[in-house]
Amino acid sequence: MSGRRAELVVSGVSKRFGRTVILSTVDLTVHGGEVIALTGENGAGKTTLMRICAGLIRADAGSVRVGGRIGYCPQVPGLFELLTANDHLVMFGRGAGIDRAESLRRGHAILEEFGYPLRERTVTRDLSGGTRQKLNLALALLADPTILLLDEPYQGFDRGTYVNFWDHCQVWRDAGKAVVVVTHMLAELERVDRVIELPAHPSRTLARS
Amino acid sequence: MRSLRRIVIMGEMHGRDLTKRHAAFALLIALPLSFYLASAGTGTKSIVAGGVGMAFAVSGATLFSVLSSGEVDQRLVLAGYRPHELLFGRLLFLAPMGIAIGGAFTALMTVVSHPARPALTFVGLSAVALLSIPFGLAVGAAVPRELEGTLVLIGVVGLQLAIEPTSPVAHVLPFYGPRTLIASSLGAGGPILWPMVLTSAYGIALFVLARLLVGRRVGVERHSRVTDR
Repeated sequence: MSGRRAELVVSGVSKRFGRTVILSTVDLTVHGGEVIALTGENGAGKTTLMRICAGLIRADAGSVRVGGRIGYCPQVPGLFELLTANDHLVMFGRGAGIDRAESLRRGHAILEEFGYPLRERTVTRDLSGGTRQKLNLALALLADPTILLLDEPYQGFDRGTYVNFWDHCQVWRDAGKAVVVVTHMLAELERVDRVIELPAHPSRTLARS
Repeated sequence: MRSLRRIVIMGEMHGRDLTKRHAAFALLIALPLSFYLASAGTGTKSIVAGGVGMAFAVSGATLFSVLSSGEVDQRLVLAGYRPHELLFGRLLFLAPMGIAIGGAFTALMTVVSHPARPALTFVGLSAVALLSIPFGLAVGAAVPRELEGTLVLIGVVGLQLAIEPTSPVAHVLPFYGPRTLIASSLGAGGPILWPMVLTSAYGIALFVLARLLVGRRVGVERHSRVTDR
């Protein structure tokens, strides 16, 4: 990766919840134009690490440095149940300083790429899980972030959209974005540049035994 | 200017969200109405009961708007909003709505209960509605679970209704000012300025408290920049 800019640098990040150590001195550097798969068994701390990188929770120790704007797609879509996709695009776009028309233009372009039914005026509560997830992903991409943190973003996707998602990882790589995808899909690991596996930490292994 | 635009958008979206909740919207009207009508035989005391019902309704709606959007709020902060913009956005929609409900109830109460000073009744009911918003925001931010939040809300507002206004405890509860204003509107005399100042002070204090607590809950850590590339 020499010559490429580091966009996300995680140094010695540790996190515990109560007596349970979730992350212990994790180091990770992601460069622009690189797609990383973050794997590990349930409870290994993948989501916690993503949330720390996004700034949603604080690490107990260590630091995170970033090269630009972060786009974060959480595992569970956090959406207003009675608002439409357009409402969400306008609201999230405004947060990034994008006006209404531009938010809709950009948002529709992203949604269209993932096969979202654009004529749909349904509120998010009545959308299928996969369709909600498409909107969730579009909101993460709306402000054209440099760093993409995607926590199992394909949940509920049909086969075509799932393949489409991984094709887009290539597009984002070519666009110079730093992409981290939390995934359990071993078949797709050949499509990423590196695989980082978070270990189950000894304190939890001992607790289970 | 950017901040104002974000607040306006948040107000618009909260308005769209709440107005689609038809049952909740109907209850916002029905709750104070039922409090008022249930005590209609008690003369002007029914106006106080209606005001307390309004406190339940508006603060409950505000509490729900905070508790139901915790996950989204933090994501909105990540997208660029500041925590106080999320709060002001709710205030922007709920405040005019509360004043409108207060106006409608004043009209009804003027016809049915004949308060001596209807304009002051309107001020009192509006004060209830306006204070209910920062109260709901503060409770929602301090107790981020539905059941506990609702119980705190019922406890405080219910206590205000249950105890005598002359009791020392009544003086320190948040709705003492609006209740005094409503009571003053029922007769020819009674304090006006002091309860208005008290209501304003309580409203500002509760809003500041809500801002501090919401900031801790939905705040996003801004990472330092990579300098060594």
